[in-house]
Amino acid sequence: MTGVWAVLGAVAVVAAVGVLLRFHGGRVRVTAKPREDLPGPVRDLLDPATPVTLLQISTTFCAPCRHTRVLLSDLADRTDGLRHVELDVTNLPEVAAGLGVLRTPTTLALDASGAELLRVGGVPKRDTLIAALRPHLPRPIG
Amino acid sequence: MSKDSPVDPRGPRFSAWITTAILAVVLLTGSWRLLAAQTVLFGLCAFISLKLNPWGHVYRFAVQPRLTPTSEREEAAPLRFAQGVGFVFALVGTIGYATGLTALGVVATSAALVAALLNAALGLCLGCEMFLLLRRYAPVLARPQ
Repeated sequence: MTGVWAVLGAVAVVAAVGVLLRFHGGRVRVTAKPREDLPGPVRDLLDPATPVTLLQISTTFCAPCRHTRVLLSDLADRTDGLRHVELDVTNLPEVAAGLGVLRTPTTLALDASGAELLRVGGVPKRDTLIAALRPHLPRPIG
Repeated sequence: MSKDSPVDPRGPRFSAWITTAILAVVLLTGSWRLLAAQTVLFGLCAFISLKLNPWGHVYRFAVQPRLTPTSEREEAAPLRFAQGVGFVFALVGTIGYATGLTALGVVATSAALVAALLNAALGLCLGCEMFLLLRRYAPVLARPQ
């Protein structure tokens, strides 16, 4: 009898996670904080000439990172002033910890000075991300 | 350890449904032998090669020919890592059931069932999502392979 309840419990947990993911996955969080303490490997990836850098944090063990890479690089290709870079933190746990990143993919939008504008956990939703980036870019997003 | 080539992502989803069914049967019957068999399967996939997964072969011969081909490919490393996480839970569960610590068996098997069902139904790989957390709090478990 315990087994039946365990199975039902597991199904309920999965259904709850499904609902949560539906509403929270790919959500944009506006963080807007200046960063003086950017980890070195992240600072190296910044480009002072580009208004917004989308920094995708990935690991080797991350299946949705590939979908995120396709989506973000396509978006960056079509958009002036936007670039996409990826940082694999499989062997850089201190970088992930320094950025407060616990899951992959996490995407951080950084301005030219390295200040964090927003971050997205999970595969970003294209339209939501475009809307959130618009105020920070020189020209409309194509 | 051999390196597997990328796979059609629908294969692992198919396998995850079968794993879900096996783990549900384990919970319903309390059979430690079935769970032990599943543990061995997880171990083979995680530590030797994904090619040893029989459900992958069933998928390739019986299911894939009926589906529209896809050029989408998924890296093998996350899949193997997830199988390793499944191995740990299934091993704890087997030990629980086999030694009479049924509560331990039920809890560990339920956790594995949640992970398998998340993968099958939602395409969410719990082991992969937890990699950074594991890396941070239990570096020994999550060392890169």
